[in-house]
Amino acid sequence: MLEEFKKYLWVAKAISRLTLSTQKEVVIRFLTAKKKYLPEDNPKAQVEDILKCALCPNMCRFDCPVLQAAKSETYSPAGRARIAYLLEMGRVSSHDAVELMYACAACSACQQWCPFDFSVDDLLMGVRRDLVDRNLVPETLMDIKDQIVRTRTIYQNSRTSLGLEPRKADILYVAGCTVLNKERIIAQTAMKILEKAGITVTTLPEEWCCGAPLNLLGFEDDFKKFAAHNADSIKKSGCKKMICSCPECVYTFKEVYAKEGHPLQVEVMHTSEYFLELIEQGKIQFKELQRDLVYHDPCVLARKLHITEQPRKVLEAIPGVSVKEPPLTKEHTRCCGIGGLLAITNPELSVTLLRARDSELCKLADTVVTACPACKIAFKRTRNAESRDLSEIVLEGMN
Amino acid sequence: MSSEESAGPAHSPGYEIVYPQTSLSTEKKERILANLQKIVGKRNVSCREIDRLSYSRDYWPIALRWMLEGKVPALPDFVVWPETTDHISHIVRIASEEKIPVVPFGEGSGVLGGAIPVQGGIVLDMKKMSAVLTLNDDNLTITVQPGINGMNLERFLNQKGYTMGHIPQSLYCSTVGGWLGCRAAGQFSTKYGKIDDILISLEAVLPQGTIIRSKPVPKSSTCPRIDTLLLGAEGTLGVITEATFKIWPYPEKRALQSYAFSTLKDGLESVRTILRRGIFPAVVRLYDQAETERHFYSTKKARGKCILILVEEGDRELVDLEEAVSHTVCTDHGGFPTGEAPAAHWMETRFNVKEISEFTPRDVVFDTIEVSVMWDKSMELYQSVISAMKSIEGVIIASAHASHFYPQGVCFYFTFGGTSLTGSPTDFYETVWNAAMKACLNAGGSISHHHGIGILRSRWIREELGPSHDILKSIKKALDPENVMNPGKMGL
Repeated sequence: MLEEFKKYLWVAKAISRLTLSTQKEVVIRFLTAKKKYLPEDNPKAQVEDILKCALCPNMCRFDCPVLQAAKSETYSPAGRARIAYLLEMGRVSSHDAVELMYACAACSACQQWCPFDFSVDDLLMGVRRDLVDRNLVPETLMDIKDQIVRTRTIYQNSRTSLGLEPRKADILYVAGCTVLNKERIIAQTAMKILEKAGITVTTLPEEWCCGAPLNLLGFEDDFKKFAAHNADSIKKSGCKKMICSCPECVYTFKEVYAKEGHPLQVEVMHTSEYFLELIEQGKIQFKELQRDLVYHDPCVLARKLHITEQPRKVLEAIPGVSVKEPPLTKEHTRCCGIGGLLAITNPELSVTLLRARDSELCKLADTVVTACPACKIAFKRTRNAESRDLSEIVLEGMN
Repeated sequence: MSSEESAGPAHSPGYEIVYPQTSLSTEKKERILANLQKIVGKRNVSCREIDRLSYSRDYWPIALRWMLEGKVPALPDFVVWPETTDHISHIVRIASEEKIPVVPFGEGSGVLGGAIPVQGGIVLDMKKMSAVLTLNDDNLTITVQPGINGMNLERFLNQKGYTMGHIPQSLYCSTVGGWLGCRAAGQFSTKYGKIDDILISLEAVLPQGTIIRSKPVPKSSTCPRIDTLLLGAEGTLGVITEATFKIWPYPEKRALQSYAFSTLKDGLESVRTILRRGIFPAVVRLYDQAETERHFYSTKKARGKCILILVEEGDRELVDLEEAVSHTVCTDHGGFPTGEAPAAHWMETRFNVKEISEFTPRDVVFDTIEVSVMWDKSMELYQSVISAMKSIEGVIIASAHASHFYPQGVCFYFTFGGTSLTGSPTDFYETVWNAAMKACLNAGGSISHHHGIGILRSRWIREELGPSHDILKSIKKALDPENVMNPGKMGL
């Protein structure tokens, strides 16, 4: 607060040098003018912040994967904020403008360069909530919402459990929709690692989606229902610690639930964090494994959860494993193209993003290791390199 | 994402257009669209409203304010993404035949309206021509396409062990093509030079479709240079499609220094002496009292004084020498050493651009004005421009720092902020600019050091150039008889 005061002392001093009547006029305008430029109704979007973003010269643009793929001003961070502002002010209303509000990888690359600490995905999420309220959500996204609400998972396979009998345990493993429906090997390896480490672990009889897709798309009420259900199920499981393979699940359970009024009373960890803890306790031990790998930091893990060292330390603990670093790494990582539901909202952009990231990684090693099931699926699609989850490499090292 | 089968409506009624233009007939619009799609493919042409809105502006502060007032500066008819030099050659031929404007667009960070399509037409977004073509270690050069983003280029070079030394505040949000079009200068320019100095050669498409390429040589004596006509032309004389630049090995050492001077004059005299000694720090920035208070409020020993920031970089031994000589000169001129911290603070905060975002919605009008002047007139120019700006009713702040230095003179970077107490914000803005430009011209300065002319400065360009402006017009007429290339700029 004091620092902020010092920072803007020059403004106060400059105003104090004006005549009294001018001072009064300037101060009144300074304090009240912005109301003129904001919507009169009470939108959920943070329009004042959106306006600040729209008035920025796009200082984060070089690191925005969506813009780098689209190569169009419309898709620049400030460009999307500008259309968002015009939408919120009712000055544009086209279908194109509405669709643009979903063209974001939610990777938060922008945030690290923003003098206001904004993330475009946060700004757009408010707009999406307003689009829900105004019944302007594109039909395909309404269908996705309906599917999640109906089947409790985003995937049509509709698998919501690992099929294991719940048991009393301090550790709860939550696989997440993507692992359950598309990458069960990640759950199988994770469970096997925990078993070999002597950890008693339980699972939920039925896993509901963490709700991240609902939240991202602006379906606030539905998200809250999922959060309430999951918070209750987790509590009933009696666990003390919850382990997830999916960074988006970790972020949602740990950060978003608390923000939205459903804080969990248990510790939530990503598998990479827990594996490292077990390695340090001597419960996971490795044999030699000759492998050259390149590690891809998932955006949510690296930038929203600030977990970059743990997965590296896990890999480096395996004798014989050599981990290469791509030029854009750790908190400077680049999205695989799946983030923010981009593969659904804009498949063409999603593929362009994927190719760009994939080409950087494949130059370095034949195996891309990541710590997110969605990233793993993305890199599998290109078939340029073997795509593996951290759990798979850990289990290989233990065997 | 960008293709559109048919030409869309002129605009929806949700906003007013500041520079309205006569709509193209439907038949003409459909014909041009079909031809453009034939050249670059359907996916590389758009008439969508959201795309046209996105290319309706650059970073001209007053035009940004218009958005709040429900206004849009100007709408292009088409947005086109060329992928090759041939594409551009064909597009400008069509534009000449159809007599519709072509406005090259990089990343829209220009601050004078240079990229606003005031007469509609085709906005040519260069982002799909953003490749690094060659990096030559023997020659210390890099050849790139013009749509590459500055930071992405610098990141690429840094990874390979080099720097281009061109680090403008817009590094994150501008392209190589934009730098050349505006004759830009970076913050490290006192050592590495301005973009004009860093350029070796280029390829360009002239307004009637001719492609020219200059030879990448360090110097030649073969008639006047034609390629450099496009520098500072802001797209009015053609489209740059490739450029070769000097690069440097990434600096082995960087030294940070700062000194507080009692007067701006003492600080200027110190820098003048340092350069006369043959020492060229990469960064030299001297702030007047008002800006020292604003940017370096935590440096107690600089209170009420003018702070000088120096950054020397390069070979370790040379940097040590530059640091020692600079220290001696500064202290001999009454400079009080204030340590590395203020320079480190500048390094950390140099890309924080917040003023327009923070103050525009509060009805405060902000802008910066960069001008150049020889040493012997420098203090006179500084004082007269500050006085001229302060004399306008509603001006709350008027301040400056000197940001680029030469053995012969200096660039002053003025900032003003204020609020219109009587007329419109746009009137207030123009009144302050007019006062500053007149004061600059009267003091013998040049009205722009590195931002260029665009729309805003066009009104003073005649006074700046004199009869040379007629020559420029003749050149424009000869190269672009239909005046299709970025019309309405630079008084052309």
